[in-house]
Amino acid sequence: MKVADNVNPNVYEKGSVREVTKSDLDEELNDDFDQREIFDIIRNISDPEHPLTLEELRVVEESNVIIDNKNNLVHVYFTPTIPHCSMATLIGLSIRVQLLRALPSRFKVTVEVTEGTHVSEHAVNKQLADKERIAAALENNNLVQIINQCVRSV
Amino acid sequence: MEPIWFKEVLADEIIKNDDIINEMQSIVTDIVSGHIDITRIVENMAGVLTHKDSENREKGMRFFTNLLKKIPQDFLTVTQINFISKFYIDRLKDNHRVIPAVLDGYLTIVGMKHFNISLCGEYFSVLFREIACQSQLRQDRLNIYLTMQITMDKDMEYMKSLGPDFVFGLISSMDGERDPRNLLFLFNFLPKFLANIPLGHLVDEMFEVISCYYPIDFHPSPDDPAAVSRDDLALALCPCLCGVQEFGEQCLVLLIEKLDSSLRVAKLDSLRLLAESCKKFKPETYIPFLKALWSSLYREISHKTDEELKLAAHEALSALIANMAASYNTDQSFENFVKGIIISMQTSLAESTTVAQFVETSRVLLSTANSSKESCFIVTKTMIPAIISYYEFKTSAKLQVASLEFLGDLYDLAKCWDVVGDIDKQANEIIPLCLTAVSEPTKEHQMAGFKALIRTIDVLKPDLVLPFVEILIHIVQHSDDHDILLVSVETTNAIARKYPELIMDLVVKGKCNIEEMVDNKSILQKRLNLLSNLASIDDFTRVIVEEMLKIITVDDKNAYNVVKALNGSISNTSLYTEEKVTQIESDHGLIDSILTWLLKEIKSGSKESLVHGYTLISNTMCSLPSEKQKAVLERHSSKIMEKCQNEAVYYPLLECLYRSLHQNVYDSSYLHILNLSLKIAINNDNEFIKTRACCLVAHFLNKAEFGQTFELLYESLKSYLSSCSKDENICLSLIQLFGWIAKALILRGSDLFMFWLQKILITLSNPECCQQGAEAIRLIVSDQPDCLNARHHCRTSLLYRQRIFQSFANLSEKFDPISETKETYLLCWAYVLEKAPKSVLNNEVGKILPLVVDSLDSDNKDLLVVMIDVLIYFVQAKNILVAQSFQTILPRLVKLSEYVKSMDVRIKSLQCLHEIANSYKTALLLPYKTDLLFDLAPSLDDKKRLVRNMAVRARTRWYLVGAPGEEKDE
Repeated sequence: MKVADNVNPNVYEKGSVREVTKSDLDEELNDDFDQREIFDIIRNISDPEHPLTLEELRVVEESNVIIDNKNNLVHVYFTPTIPHCSMATLIGLSIRVQLLRALPSRFKVTVEVTEGTHVSEHAVNKQLADKERIAAALENNNLVQIINQCVRSV
Repeated sequence: MEPIWFKEVLADEIIKNDDIINEMQSIVTDIVSGHIDITRIVENMAGVLTHKDSENREKGMRFFTNLLKKIPQDFLTVTQINFISKFYIDRLKDNHRVIPAVLDGYLTIVGMKHFNISLCGEYFSVLFREIACQSQLRQDRLNIYLTMQITMDKDMEYMKSLGPDFVFGLISSMDGERDPRNLLFLFNFLPKFLANIPLGHLVDEMFEVISCYYPIDFHPSPDDPAAVSRDDLALALCPCLCGVQEFGEQCLVLLIEKLDSSLRVAKLDSLRLLAESCKKFKPETYIPFLKALWSSLYREISHKTDEELKLAAHEALSALIANMAASYNTDQSFENFVKGIIISMQTSLAESTTVAQFVETSRVLLSTANSSKESCFIVTKTMIPAIISYYEFKTSAKLQVASLEFLGDLYDLAKCWDVVGDIDKQANEIIPLCLTAVSEPTKEHQMAGFKALIRTIDVLKPDLVLPFVEILIHIVQHSDDHDILLVSVETTNAIARKYPELIMDLVVKGKCNIEEMVDNKSILQKRLNLLSNLASIDDFTRVIVEEMLKIITVDDKNAYNVVKALNGSISNTSLYTEEKVTQIESDHGLIDSILTWLLKEIKSGSKESLVHGYTLISNTMCSLPSEKQKAVLERHSSKIMEKCQNEAVYYPLLECLYRSLHQNVYDSSYLHILNLSLKIAINNDNEFIKTRACCLVAHFLNKAEFGQTFELLYESLKSYLSSCSKDENICLSLIQLFGWIAKALILRGSDLFMFWLQKILITLSNPECCQQGAEAIRLIVSDQPDCLNARHHCRTSLLYRQRIFQSFANLSEKFDPISETKETYLLCWAYVLEKAPKSVLNNEVGKILPLVVDSLDSDNKDLLVVMIDVLIYFVQAKNILVAQSFQTILPRLVKLSEYVKSMDVRIKSLQCLHEIANSYKTALLLPYKTDLLFDLAPSLDDKKRLVRNMAVRARTRWYLVGAPGEEKDE
């Protein structure tokens, strides 16, 4: 068995479930997409190496999600647990795939590594921004299997 | 002619004729009745028993063995048995073909009543010398083991005297046994053997033979109908491995080795073995291994995902500590061991950054403390101060709350093991920490602090009462949070039970003095809530209740608040017992005062305030014994009755007095009241009063004693109803009343309800009043607060909803709804289905599913919500009928996922789609996958967030259908 890159990562507290407010239950009101909602979609993706979620490892954080409802833009920054993590691309891909499946098609989604947190940051970002390569990756059954296992628990 | 067994030709006959065996019963009959002696038969068999051909000797022995089996166990005499036994022992030396019959035969002999145990010594010594057990067949091996078991059961002392030879014989017999059934037998038999027969120098050999099976690795063949499972074997092996103290060292070495293996089963078995061994081995056995054991246990306990392993490790640790605790006074190692645990746990507590990690670690300490009095003492003594400084040191609020809970747990354990007295100094430190916590501004801290205080109230010192009371009273008066208010009141109650005088001075006569009323209604209400709660304590009852009643009778400004507070507290039955309420009523005349107040207010007061009064009276009434109830009625009923006759406004007063009576309180005025109630139920315009009247009619019907009393009431009811005019106006009221009557009858288990249910069902074909009919059905199946329940001394039959479901299903079979009322008809079904126990529905899927599918097409929100719920239930049960209708169901659900009028319907339909993807086989789902992914996309952009959340779940789940990485048991 391959030993994980980061054998003993820091584990953080899980946030609480979003509380249902009065306005959530009001039939008439329109709820816009917000940071928290995007975060809720990706927080429970599990890490490919540990039985932990991306939230518990602080790979994704609510404050690293940017959303612009008017211009239909979603921008997610994620932070690998260590700068030389070989799983960074895979984690990025999982986040992208999950958002692709769970967000309306009107949004343009960008997933990037938080600046200065990974040694090959630019290479990873480039890969994640390349539609062709993502499409090609999703043709690969092994890769799809790993990604599906990561997003299954969501 | 004499039968053949009387002659010497019997021997030849046995050789020639295999069917002679069928004559066995007649032979036995002859022997038992004394026609022939067994010795003569044996003589006649001589030819075959000593035949030179081994095949024929086998036939002879088999015949003899069969004969012995048929003879009653107590028939043969000692001498006869001695003779036969000698013969059989001799036969052990014979050809291998003969042996199975000999083994089988000797097993029968051993079981005989007059068997002399000393014979078996020779048998075993010849057996062990001549026969290799493991080269016999399975059944023959079992026969050998069985013989040993029976002889041991008969005379253990003699078997002991056989000494090491017997032990060695057993060891060599079972060495190499492979059959799971035989092994299971041996494992069950060995503990008894080990416990009684000294092993002498053969300890190592015995352990070797047993331990070679450990850990069990066995998979029964899949087509074995009565297979022995791995777990059966493992469970049976465990007590063998730790059967005697002498095994101790070897057992522990083995166990530790397997505990460190990477095989999960081996670990689980080892942990169970450790727990089991603690019942047998002495504490000294473990001392050399404690370090190794703890490091292995710690590894399993801190396992991240495997709960079963973790639990087994906890159990093993508890057992080990409980065992070791016995050596507390003689040996230092136990204390060192527990301290070692504490040190490693303290390190991981200090390192934990999340509550999950903290709780995980604290659980180990709690297991340790929970195992024995001694360990509890050591753990609580060390950990209470440690956690207190941890609280001050850590800044995370969640961890602080968790540590308060942990302190409470530790204190509870100390109390449970009765060591609080010994850790006095440490326990006293908890209370100041609670004070620090409740002084924080956040709700979480306050809640945790109060809860910890309630648990440790025994060590609260009087000098700290004042600061707590200051904070409590502040919260009680100024907080608006329901949870914290509840806890504060509970805490005050706990303190008051410990220091009644202090609370009396500080609260009742001090800060919350009832005589100094404040103008702010909200503060006043909260104060009164607190006081009415405190009044449940004996020391306070008199003072508080008297004051409160004074307000009710004199001061009408605040009376409403007092009534509301009293009502809230008295309806809490865990706070106010029936005896307490009775005492209050007889000492202070609670009902009289409330009645007086109600009479004064009834025309001017708001409905809400009056309802509190009515409920208070009825709740007080139901706590009183029958005698007191009668007395109350005597005092008031005639007066109120009179008022009711003239003005219906007074009716609720009458109702609340009569609602909660015992079943045996009955008098002739009932019929009168029933007629009055019926009149009001049908003719009154006030919805509230009308409902109260229906409710009282239902209560009367439900409680009336079986027999004449009930029949009288029922007849009078029917005649009243038939006499009233069939007026359009009263039709709706009648339907409501029918609902109540049916409910009352079915709850008392009477079949008469069918008549009324039928009447209600008829209304469903009338578009004008079908809505009311549906409401009546809803009333029958749903729970009514403060009505027709055991607290009000009503009869309640179990499973009545199931009966309604069945009766409704039967009645509706004949019912053919017209198109205008179809929706209401389905709605009735929805009400019945919603409340019917779900397991009942499983048998009727064929009947219900068409109704559900029909309803998915309707436009009624309530109907849709219930029906989709039922559908979800069927889906979760993986019902195959649902899958057969996917073609209809899926498009309808997709359509409902955009149902504009209600977000609940949208959420439920999406949830149902999610469950469908979860439950059914891929092959059934795959044809619809592409369409559904496309159809679900619009819901991702729904205007309501809750709908979007569910849409995300449904759509991402459908993406996984048939995709690599999906985990599903097909």
